[in-house]
Amino acid sequence: MQKKTAYSFPDEILEHVFSFIHSGKDRNAASVVCKSWYEIERWCRRKIFVGNCYAVSPTMVIRRFPDIRSIELKGKPHFADFNLVPDGWGGYVLPWISEMAGAYPWLEEIRLKRMVVTDESLELVAKSFTNLQVLVLFSCEGFSTDGLAAIAASCKNLRELDLRDSEVDDLSGHWLNHFPDTYTSLVSLNISCLGSDDVSFSALERLVGRCPNLRRLLLNREVPLDKIANLLSRAPQLIEFGTGTYAAELRSDVYSNLAEAFCNCKELKCLSGFWDAVPAYLPVIYSVCSRLTSLNLSYAPIQNPDLTKLVSQCPSLQRMLVLDYIEDSGLEVLASSCKDLQELRVFPSDPFGEEPNVSLTEKGLVAVSSGCPKLQSVLYFCRQMSNAALVTIAQNCPNFTRFRLCLLDPKIADYRTLQPLDVGFGAIVEHCKDLRRLSLSGLLTDRVFEYIGMHAKKLEMLSVAFAGESDLALHHVLSGCESLRKLEIMNCPFGDKALLANAAKLETMRSLWMSSCSVSLGACKMLGQKMPRLNIEVMDEKGPPDSRAESDPVDKLYIYRSVAGPRFDMPPFVWTMDEDFASELS
Amino acid sequence: MELQLGLALPTPNMLKGFDLNNHGLDQLKEMGGLEAWNKAAGCFADKDCVKSKRSFEQAFGNFTEECRTKPLLLWSGQPNEEEDHKDQKKATFSTTDENDAEEDDQVVGWPPIKTWRKKIFQQQQQPRVGRAENNRVAENENGRSIYVKVKMEGVAITRKIDIKVYHSYQSLTNSLITMFTKDKKCNEDDYILTYQDKEGDWLIAGDIPWQNFVRSVQRMEIVKNWG
Repeated sequence: MQKKTAYSFPDEILEHVFSFIHSGKDRNAASVVCKSWYEIERWCRRKIFVGNCYAVSPTMVIRRFPDIRSIELKGKPHFADFNLVPDGWGGYVLPWISEMAGAYPWLEEIRLKRMVVTDESLELVAKSFTNLQVLVLFSCEGFSTDGLAAIAASCKNLRELDLRDSEVDDLSGHWLNHFPDTYTSLVSLNISCLGSDDVSFSALERLVGRCPNLRRLLLNREVPLDKIANLLSRAPQLIEFGTGTYAAELRSDVYSNLAEAFCNCKELKCLSGFWDAVPAYLPVIYSVCSRLTSLNLSYAPIQNPDLTKLVSQCPSLQRMLVLDYIEDSGLEVLASSCKDLQELRVFPSDPFGEEPNVSLTEKGLVAVSSGCPKLQSVLYFCRQMSNAALVTIAQNCPNFTRFRLCLLDPKIADYRTLQPLDVGFGAIVEHCKDLRRLSLSGLLTDRVFEYIGMHAKKLEMLSVAFAGESDLALHHVLSGCESLRKLEIMNCPFGDKALLANAAKLETMRSLWMSSCSVSLGACKMLGQKMPRLNIEVMDEKGPPDSRAESDPVDKLYIYRSVAGPRFDMPPFVWTMDEDFASELS
Repeated sequence: MELQLGLALPTPNMLKGFDLNNHGLDQLKEMGGLEAWNKAAGCFADKDCVKSKRSFEQAFGNFTEECRTKPLLLWSGQPNEEEDHKDQKKATFSTTDENDAEEDDQVVGWPPIKTWRKKIFQQQQQPRVGRAENNRVAENENGRSIYVKVKMEGVAITRKIDIKVYHSYQSLTNSLITMFTKDKKCNEDDYILTYQDKEGDWLIAGDIPWQNFVRSVQRMEIVKNWG
């Protein structure tokens, strides 16, 4: 009998130790220490994250991890949010649900992002996972209120139902009625994306009234303002609330009821909604403002001075989403009032207008960078920028983790010097050593990519549009950015050379998207042949690739690593460049 | 620019006549590329394993270094001067550009705003600039906003206001003064408020009852008072 060495523990002890390790990355690291750790770990892993649903098959996941309770799956590439991925591309959840139905009867949490979820899938979820507690459908589509009704009727233990940003077919407002009267476990409900017929208000009121643990409630636009007070009075324990439409004729009874209802929500920290908001009703939330840590006014067409006045009353804000109506002047007030601000997102109120309709420039962002020392995450849409401003911002905020700048004219130069914005973004990557996510815009040459490759060592996601001059730019990024996981590129003059020279890099990343670039069909075929663990998908709505010359550029290219091999659910406009394809055509 | 072919694989220009069956594969085997990667297949099942430097070395040993210096193509590091780039059309973004047949004459995917957000903008902002047909529906529902463009002579920025928010000419002009004095210091008596009505005529604001004004105003302009 072999003596166990001093450092080999009984399996039970290791399993107990592993139970304290929750992060997927740490568990992955533990699993490759040795074979026995791999075995022990896989039996006790409860939570899994699959960043690309086509990178692995459900069978493989189930084979390795027999007892999962929580799964997160992501489907379409990020640029699908901006209509760059045609309908029918893929990302179907049904195959996953079908297989997990048998393998994971105790599944508690399902989180999906950018996936196609059908009513059939939801009905299968409802039938198969009686212990389901969390269902998050983030930017999903393909289902209707019928599917939601099935979930409501069967999932007795549901705590969280979050449909954020999903597209739901409204068939009937009565799906909420399917929550039985005995159902009281709701903690979080986000139905903000639903259309007009999707919510029966009386059912909602009753539901809210009987769920004492409800902490998060985000309503859809169709809930009128005069119904809010009543709803809030049934749920004064709310921490996060999203209103419906925030416009109505000014009436003193409605006003005072609302003010009182908000005042009674002593734990309210996050507010959103405010569709169509009119200034008259803004003061009803003043009693809550001092406690607010998160405020989303990005659907509210309120302008200054009302907007600035509201913001100035929220000194505890950590997260602020707003339209550019806030203007530079409002951002200056934000900078001086909200010293705990960590995240700022400024959206354009008139993105397609030819002339600026508001006075929002780089100055606003500089002010916030200067006044808010904890600022970490920025998404900023504006119409002008300068290298000097970007350098200042970078120096003010070395702690940025996410920086996304969107200049509405994507190739606009530094408005003061007419130079490209290379130096400015270079300063961002040089000073912000923890930068994980970056989106570029403006006039940019290959130089900015040289800076990125040199400095952005922690960068995980890079979004590029209308930038660069040659393949050298792409080469800098692929060869320099060690932590790069996701790269998405549109309308850049990048061709085959950098891609082929850095083919190995692609296996270290989750995915690469290139659309309206200059990658040739031949290069795609070559990659498909030589890199069996990459799926090379070419998308072209004009016709099959074999009708065109090898040197013709492909319209859209999506490359992702996968151990599942090429997928079989592709629509007619997607071709996979695997070995078979290449040899068929030659 | 010079490109060295590390594996005698063709450049895209040379693909015709290349025999995919044996030449390339021999080179790759020499490099040991595919074999080493095959060994690591089990490791690849977990996506983070691939990325992690530790596991890479575990799988390949010293191979990693070699692997990095022999890509499919060697890069000489010079900017690309080949002719395929000369012919390249650089997509230029312009609202008047008709490159992409999108309904807004916009480039698809730019600016990067989620579809549902765009819908909200379109619903909220219906600038009625000289259009004969009016969207009466917007008026009657729950006090939903009616946006009207307001321009001031001498100011670059055109603003949009929600006319439903105001109940009188006085409240409107007070608000406009507040809004525009930020842009241009001026004496309010020097300016008059004009508007374009449904018929396209420019009139001085204030002559007709407020409610009628709200129903007929298409856009407004603040002009210098020469009278």
